[in-house]
Amino acid sequence: MTYLWATRGRSWGFRLLRTGGLDDPLPTYEAAFAAAADDVEVWQVTAAGGALRFPDPLGRRDRSGRVIPHDFVLLGGDAAGITSVEEGRRRLWPQVERVFAAAYDSPAPPTPRP
Amino acid sequence: MAAKRTLEQQIAVFGESGSGKTVLLSSFYGALQEPAFLDRSVYRVSADDVGQGIRLHSNYLGMRDDGRRPALTAFASTAYRFSATFRGTSPKKAAVDALRLVWHDYPGEWFAESPSSPTEQRRRADTFRSMLGADVALLLVDAQRLIDEAGQEEKYLRLLLTNIRNGMLSLRDELLPDGKPLQDFPRIWVLALSKSDLLPDMDVYAFRDLVVGKAGSDLDALRRAVEELVESTEALSLGQDFVLLSSARFDAGTIRVSDRVGVDLVHPMAAVLPLETHVRWASLKTLPSKVADALLGSVDGMAGVLAGHKLPLPGPLGLLVGLLGPDVAKAAAELAGGKLKDAHATALRRKEYAAATLAAFKMALERAEKDKVLLRSPR
Repeated sequence: MTYLWATRGRSWGFRLLRTGGLDDPLPTYEAAFAAAADDVEVWQVTAAGGALRFPDPLGRRDRSGRVIPHDFVLLGGDAAGITSVEEGRRRLWPQVERVFAAAYDSPAPPTPRP
Repeated sequence: MAAKRTLEQQIAVFGESGSGKTVLLSSFYGALQEPAFLDRSVYRVSADDVGQGIRLHSNYLGMRDDGRRPALTAFASTAYRFSATFRGTSPKKAAVDALRLVWHDYPGEWFAESPSSPTEQRRRADTFRSMLGADVALLLVDAQRLIDEAGQEEKYLRLLLTNIRNGMLSLRDELLPDGKPLQDFPRIWVLALSKSDLLPDMDVYAFRDLVVGKAGSDLDALRRAVEELVESTEALSLGQDFVLLSSARFDAGTIRVSDRVGVDLVHPMAAVLPLETHVRWASLKTLPSKVADALLGSVDGMAGVLAGHKLPLPGPLGLLVGLLGPDVAKAAAELAGGKLKDAHATALRRKEYAAATLAAFKMALERAEKDKVLLRSPR
């Protein structure tokens, strides 16, 4: 799958950890979430493919007590067949959960990957 | 009707992710929309951008009614512009009919971490550049982090000050493309204890002593780093003004937004601290005249309104300062105590609401000093 993933750790700040192979992924991320405002859960089909947001499935929080969000932008045809947040979570979370478990408590964020 | 003249002050709030910047901003704006404020105040505050106002008000109501914290600020910075306009119709002679506060909000991680995309990197530099137009900077110290490191507070304080210092130094080349130090820069840096409700026994003196005692050398290193960026370092106050801030009281499941400390001082600090301090600095014989003129230029409108003098027609700042004169600015800056109360009462009676508001701002700062919520630099 090709996707962007933005999240934060307990003490490191919100950032893109998967870039989908884009040199500058931020414009694509922001275009996908432009209409999502501060909604806690999001699934919407976008020009890029699809925008998905869900709160951390294990309820992990940042240092100031906010539940950590996981934002994904699915690129191209990888959004096909997803019709709900739940379906998106079922597909995407297994792709990143180990990486996040290892990074969550680290003092510094992991290096972004394609 | 368009404002005839708007006096603008800018405030730059520096603080790491989670230190309470967006909560502070939302608490500030939301409280100004409450009937309790609107009923008794001679002015109303609205966001110049309606969408921004709705977002901040919504954040505030989410805290007040549902115990919900605002979402985090990600990847982008926003300059919020608030205008205070006065009750009724401005008298024709009024020189000013709006006070504007510009408040820059941005992701706190921009100080501690490298950006994760080229666009974010450009935005970080652009944001800091725009914040350099502010007169006052608030540097947030997070009370929760002090509690987390109880007994070893220096760990957090030193890291915070080092991150801010490194953030400044890493942007040096972008902020000074021609290598020349900046004339416009926040010259008043107030150390602010955010979430101060978590440390109810700590007054502003105890806060100052903690910061200076545990991280005095790092505070000095930050001051020296800032001095590298700014022209005329005699006109710089960093680590000499302190304030306690609490945007609300956070209990299990509830957020009491009416239980606040210091939030009402943000606007007065932005308006009055430059007035008082810049006038003092401008009188220093050691400052280059262009710097002294610029300092006076940043306060001439405030001084004119507060001192009850009719301002001259809009024109170049240097001309305004020349016409207004440093004496008026000095008199306005030094208004205090009983004379300040008289000036406030007189302004209210004459329905000169801009002057009344500025006098009320000065009175609020005096009260906060007596309550040991604010400590102002003597220089």
